[in-house]
Amino acid sequence: MADIKAGHLVAKYLKEVEGVEIVFGISGGHIESILDGFTEYGIRTIDVRHEQAAAMMAHAWSVYTGKTGVCFLTAGPGFTNGITGIANAYLDNAPLVVICGKHPLRDDLKGALQEMNQIDVVKPITKWAATCYDAKRIPEYMALAFRQATAGRPGPVFLELPPDILNIMIPEESAPMPSRPSRRYTIHPDDADLEQAAALINAAKKPLFLGGSGVGLSASGDRLREFVEKSGVPFMLLNYGRGELPDSHPQSMWDIGNVGLLVTLGQADLVIAAGIRFNWLLMSGGVIPPAAKLLRIDIDPQEVDRNRQADVGLVGDIASVLAQLTPLVEKRSHSEWISTFKAAGKAFIDSELKARENPSDPIHPIRLVAKIQETVGEDAVYVVDGGDTSYFGQVGFVTRQKAGVIGTSSGLLGCLGTGIPFGMAAKLARPDKTVVVLNGDGSFGFNSMEFDTMVRHNIPVVVVVNNDCAWGMIKHSQEMSIGGDRLSCSELGTRRYEKMVEGLGGHGEFVTKDEEIVPALKRALASGKPACVNVMTDPTVTSPATPLFYQSLKMQ
Amino acid sequence: MKFSLLLFILFHKLKRAVKTNGAYRSYIGTVQLRILIRTADGKRGRLFVFDRGSLTSKRGGGFDADAALVWADAATAFKVMASGSDEESFLAAARGKLKVEGMAYYIQWFTDGVKLVMK
Repeated sequence: MADIKAGHLVAKYLKEVEGVEIVFGISGGHIESILDGFTEYGIRTIDVRHEQAAAMMAHAWSVYTGKTGVCFLTAGPGFTNGITGIANAYLDNAPLVVICGKHPLRDDLKGALQEMNQIDVVKPITKWAATCYDAKRIPEYMALAFRQATAGRPGPVFLELPPDILNIMIPEESAPMPSRPSRRYTIHPDDADLEQAAALINAAKKPLFLGGSGVGLSASGDRLREFVEKSGVPFMLLNYGRGELPDSHPQSMWDIGNVGLLVTLGQADLVIAAGIRFNWLLMSGGVIPPAAKLLRIDIDPQEVDRNRQADVGLVGDIASVLAQLTPLVEKRSHSEWISTFKAAGKAFIDSELKARENPSDPIHPIRLVAKIQETVGEDAVYVVDGGDTSYFGQVGFVTRQKAGVIGTSSGLLGCLGTGIPFGMAAKLARPDKTVVVLNGDGSFGFNSMEFDTMVRHNIPVVVVVNNDCAWGMIKHSQEMSIGGDRLSCSELGTRRYEKMVEGLGGHGEFVTKDEEIVPALKRALASGKPACVNVMTDPTVTSPATPLFYQSLKMQ
Repeated sequence: MKFSLLLFILFHKLKRAVKTNGAYRSYIGTVQLRILIRTADGKRGRLFVFDRGSLTSKRGGGFDADAALVWADAATAFKVMASGSDEESFLAAARGKLKVEGMAYYIQWFTDGVKLVMK
């Protein structure tokens, strides 16, 4: 067997063992032989304009495809630029393999170019972080990285490779590849726990199933359908679980939105929480009525009693737990409970439902969302990024697509700027689907230079800017807390973002009136180019998420 | 009549709480909000105005507000509000006897404050 450039082992492993077809990053001298390996082994590279976008795209790739996403960062600033994306994946429990350059070991402590202790920086925001010191062990470290990223609760992992081991030739047989890719082993609950869970479900009169990202990450759509259709339990799928079953399913509660859910949830007598954390968005479990029984299903046993003790906990992968649980539950119909719940929920969002139907000047954000939905339809992928924008997009868009509506900034990191990278990854993962990103004008600024990436790589995503000329959620929160006359750093002004996109080679539209929305969207979609539809919306509108945000930081 | 009286009593309980109940005073903080409780025909109701720690009120259902709790009729409003039952409110909403105009969160905030005072 011939010699191989050790840096090529990274791509060889990715292609031959894990079947990776695409990776995301930016070039750099420290990782040159890794990049050359991508060419050698025919792996598509999407080179972006800021490494945070690369990490976010790889994270999104794992969400949209179910396969572990991979990004590459060069040493030093490439690494530090990627940190936000890595932290976001960590808090979102998304499998992500980060391959990173490192200063030469030979020059350690000599003041080498881009010399820094990357491992200590990244450790708190990864499941696993390591440096490989031996070229022959690169495949072994790669396998470790993939196993760590996907085992149990998924998450990002970090592997740094110094030039000392990348830029040398070694005999190929000295670095053998594993015979098979990493695989996820499923964990199953005890039979006694399953029986207790089934007894709770069978006794419930007013049950509700809340499914989170764990539902999506375990690809549990088929098992979930069997469960809800047999048990009759209404459901709400959130985060990466959204779209595992269509929003239009008769037992889906998405037509009452988050607010309808929160104000009526108090009437449920059983909440089944699957693959979802009781974090601040669910008031750390405070939204679950004290008298209700609680069944939690999670792959992480630590999560079962977190913030609210469960009556029964089932530990395992959601799909396999549901496959075990469904035969034990009785065939039921809860149609009366569902119609009562929906009718009550809709009564609490009456104004919002009316605003969707009626033109307004200036344009109401929920009206903008309704017109996008009307134009693009349910067989599309929607990505929502912003503060108030996130709320309106998540409640207004309806999908039949897996992970078809994601509020990318609505995770625990609350990471604005994630929308465009997620939209790009969605389009690459599902090129036959229309992908629309709804961005706030504030969040648009973080990664809008990625329009250049979209143009270079022909990724025709339509980005609609809900432009209220402000960091809306912060502005409206400040109005409540310190007063509208003392707004600080929360206003942006009118900016022609679509012209910037035109300058980068994309398509631009500027919209100020209700009747202009649909024609502008149609032109943007027909252009076949990455497009920005910049829509001026009502700056006075506040979403219900804003007071929730405000209250969460109130200390007295 | 009973509905209007109930709203009048509610206002005075909240007004007193603003002065004497530290937890409630802290709860309302510096919020500036106008909450209206009214009947659908607008003939009866009361506006509650929270303005940076103060609370004032006006009788009537014809005011602009940030959020409004709208009852189909005064009799239902009195029955459900006097019961203090979340379940009764839920069922009234499901039967079309109650709806929220404006942001439901503000109404939730208002009713959580009322619960704080009444407990």
